Amino acid sequence: MHGLVTEIQRFSLHDGPGIRTTVFLKGCNMQCGWCHNPETISARPSLCYYPDRCIGCGRCVLACPHQAHQMKGTLHVIDRSLCRACGRCAAVCPTEALLMAGTVMTVDEVMREVRQDRVYYDESGGGVTLSGGEVLCQPAFARALIEACCAEGFAVALETNLNAPPAVVADLAQKADLVMFDIKLIDHGAHHKETGAELTTVLENARMLADMGISLIVRTPLIPGVTDQAENVAGIAAFAAKLASVRYYELLNFNPLGASKYASLDLPYAFKDSRPLSPEKLSHLKAVAEAAGITVKVN
Amino acid sequence: MSAITFINQYDAQESFDYDRRLRLLRARKVAQTEEKARAGGANEDDYGLIVQDAFIYQLAPNHPNGSIYGYQAWVENYCSVLAQHPLYCDPLDAFVGKGFLFLERLRPKAHKWNPDYPFDDLQVLFDRYNIIHGIDNCHHFTPDLQIGFDLGWGGILDKLKRCRSSKGSAHHEFYDSEITVVEAVIGFLHRMASEIDRLAEEEQNPHLKANLKEMAAVNRHVASEPPRTFREAIQWMCWFSILSRTYNRGSAGGQLDELLRPYYEQDKAHGVLTDEEAVFYLACLFLQDSRYFQLGGPDADGRDMTSALSYLALEAADKINIACNLTIRVHDQLDPAFFRKSVVCLFRNRQGWPRYSSDTALVEGFMNCGYTRDQARKRVAAGCHWMCMPGLEYTMNDTVKINLARVFEVAFHETAVREDARIEDLWQCFNRHLEQAVNATGAGIMHHLKYQTRSQPELILNLFQQNLIEKGVNITDGGANFYNMCIDGSGLAVVIDSFAACEQHVDQKKDITYPALKALLDADFAGAEGQVMQHLLMRSPRFGGGDNPALTWAVRIKDAFTGAVRALCRRYPGIQFIPGFFSWSNTIAFGKAVGATPDGRKSGDPINHGANPNSGFRRDGAVSAMCNAIAAIQPNFGNTAPVQLELDPGIADDEEGIDKMCAMIRAILKSGNTLLNVNIIDGAKILAAHRDPFRFPDLVVRVTGFTAFFAMLSPEFRQLVVDRVKAVNPTLEQPALPDECTLSCPMPIE
Repeated sequence: MHGLVTEIQRFSLHDGPGIRTTVFLKGCNMQCGWCHNPETISARPSLCYYPDRCIGCGRCVLACPHQAHQMKGTLHVIDRSLCRACGRCAAVCPTEALLMAGTVMTVDEVMREVRQDRVYYDESGGGVTLSGGEVLCQPAFARALIEACCAEGFAVALETNLNAPPAVVADLAQKADLVMFDIKLIDHGAHHKETGAELTTVLENARMLADMGISLIVRTPLIPGVTDQAENVAGIAAFAAKLASVRYYELLNFNPLGASKYASLDLPYAFKDSRPLSPEKLSHLKAVAEAAGITVKVN
Repeated sequence: MSAITFINQYDAQESFDYDRRLRLLRARKVAQTEEKARAGGANEDDYGLIVQDAFIYQLAPNHPNGSIYGYQAWVENYCSVLAQHPLYCDPLDAFVGKGFLFLERLRPKAHKWNPDYPFDDLQVLFDRYNIIHGIDNCHHFTPDLQIGFDLGWGGILDKLKRCRSSKGSAHHEFYDSEITVVEAVIGFLHRMASEIDRLAEEEQNPHLKANLKEMAAVNRHVASEPPRTFREAIQWMCWFSILSRTYNRGSAGGQLDELLRPYYEQDKAHGVLTDEEAVFYLACLFLQDSRYFQLGGPDADGRDMTSALSYLALEAADKINIACNLTIRVHDQLDPAFFRKSVVCLFRNRQGWPRYSSDTALVEGFMNCGYTRDQARKRVAAGCHWMCMPGLEYTMNDTVKINLARVFEVAFHETAVREDARIEDLWQCFNRHLEQAVNATGAGIMHHLKYQTRSQPELILNLFQQNLIEKGVNITDGGANFYNMCIDGSGLAVVIDSFAACEQHVDQKKDITYPALKALLDADFAGAEGQVMQHLLMRSPRFGGGDNPALTWAVRIKDAFTGAVRALCRRYPGIQFIPGFFSWSNTIAFGKAVGATPDGRKSGDPINHGANPNSGFRRDGAVSAMCNAIAAIQPNFGNTAPVQLELDPGIADDEEGIDKMCAMIRAILKSGNTLLNVNIIDGAKILAAHRDPFRFPDLVVRVTGFTAFFAMLSPEFRQLVVDRVKAVNPTLEQPALPDECTLSCPMPIE
């Protein structure tokens, strides 16, 4: 069983209870313009280029079978239309100016990495988090990973957008100890406009998981001008408060670190001038959410 | 000789509670630290030394080279120091005594060792392998303060005289020297008590006058008698510290909570001590000197020793919040509330204390040397990276280091002249040189043991060893019960990563030959091709990167070093040689002695810190990956290869975060690590302090095993700390810090 993995991050403190290893699977079925991990969106390997690390050695030019790289004087130019993301350039790049996002891995290979922090999971009540991209985009691989983790006694959490058929969601979620999912917007039209996905699917899946008694954490990324209106937060909190198995509702402040990643992929980024919400605004939104009668955390 | 006092600085009407006194004392300490830093600073412990011009001692040499050697000269000079040493007395403090000098450092640097006992043949090897041989290094083992508590200086004097009468003339030089020293100590302490009496008469503020009168009475008693109360016991400890440090800098503490518990419980039962007073006294103890103390841990039967006093010690350190060297001994039965409270202190105060040791790893390791579990449990944290059984062993801990990066360099340059060389050839050559370096180091230690008495006898610490006075010999002449000689390897990660890089790029990928790589290293990666190759080498598997080929090399090198050190035990029966991995603050000096290395390190750059991986060991900088790697290279003979961890305070800014950090510490120690040093560093603050160290004169960091005021460090050392912070926080930039950013003091400074 193979899957496409963007990254395995050990000693993760913000992806669920305790100390965790987060496995980021590649490929997402929403198109959120603010995503701070744009390299995880494509379901194929992606070539990232960080020009500040490039020393102009030209090894990529020689390695590329598609002539995607050129040196114009000291300027390194990549023609993305020619690039097949084969990774040969990144393999020879001495400075990691070229990096491939997305590695084909077997379940055993992932587990070899995951297993190394067993004592940290045991001591902290942590475990493994499957994240993305969107974990539901690779259901078979995710299922195999969950089963492998369970076999070794590791708790598993899912970070998901719940944008998948209920059967797929239920199949994965019933084996997990915790499901953390996003509701980005509570207005159906706005949700579709900003994410390209139907809110109904998300909400129905959420209700289904609650009915199954699966432990849930509801999250909203606070994107300036998009999701950070009080009425949006209040609406989501009201929905979350009705889910019987919800632990808490978490507001995630805007993460500005995605800008360099968009640049590395030659992708436009509409939020490059946006900044995290002020402590005052976060407090206000927290209070708004708490009014729905749910525990609220801010990160 | 004029006393340094702070008499009549407050109006008669002013009143003082303990918190106010501590605030004022702390402010004075911070000001004195800034003065020290402006006077040049130092890349080492704080020691509680103060800069002063009231007393400058001129060494009286007994050798034409300007140095002093042997019993007589050391005794005469030490007694002269005590005869002239002025009193330092602050009426706000519970205790008197500050150190001004280390007698051992007044010797000419080039002539510390007695030239009548040369070791020129060994010096050739020491130079070749860049070995810090430890010959002439003193103290670095732990006194048993209980001996002083039981006997007092007068009792020690009586015992010396009694034992002298039953021993032959061969021992008279020892006894006569020690008797002269103890008599001088008692005379010195009586003089100090009389001066405090005089100051008490002068002081106008009634509150402070009363304190001085009590202080004088305490000092008059402990000048020769065993301490009877909690306050007397701590005053005795303060004087012991000054007396020992003034001689040769030695002053390891011990199991603080257990040492003082009988006095605390007795005084509480008699109603003469409150917890508030106990906290104040303990805070004054921490203020006086940054000596190492252990808290918690199991007793001989495995029961946790955490007591009410352990909590009060944490509370005291929390209140005074300066450079403290407190170690919590973590074991399965450790009081979880005490442990958690210590973690809260660590993150709230961000001053690098406490640190944590693993009882299981240390005990099981030391038992591999043939000691019992009981003995192993008595081995308490007493120095930067070292443990010691108080009053039982001589160790040379932290004084002997082999620059493994240099050993590698010698081997590499010998091997890499051959076009057909392979990684196994390099490995065999490294092993040959490693064995030579270790053997030379062992021979150096034996030379030290044989002749150290003729160079520098341990006049003070001798008195606090079990059965030494009865034996009537210096500790290096058989006075100790056990000899457990420390040999540390430094630069381990440089060697590991270099082997891994050679294996990948020369043997496997054949990107380059050994002679070509040697040429690149000789040229320090100069030129475009050199730069490319340097980066490629740096992308090789790294120690700390996870379960990769570098980890295989790590274990192989650890086993080779450990095996070579342990082989010395067979060569010199009766003596244990114990391996560890630590660099102390020699990372810069060791680095300057080594040219460019195949891990991509440039010529002269610092070697890795302690047992830590090199910077950039892993893209996510995962703490667990780093600590698992360090766990894998523990030699497991009771000495340490410490983890040095830099963490951002933001990861534990709520209850859940503290819980995770408690779990992290337990996990790090359960996975086989021996000792954990932690810095909780606000990235913005450390960068701002690096630019302007005097903006944060009370900022404390754990540099290696010791904590130090950041402003006291040289720019190179400050940079090292900053680099370590960046290694586990790759996104750290140069953010502006608001001008109104306040000091990290838990109490406002008046």
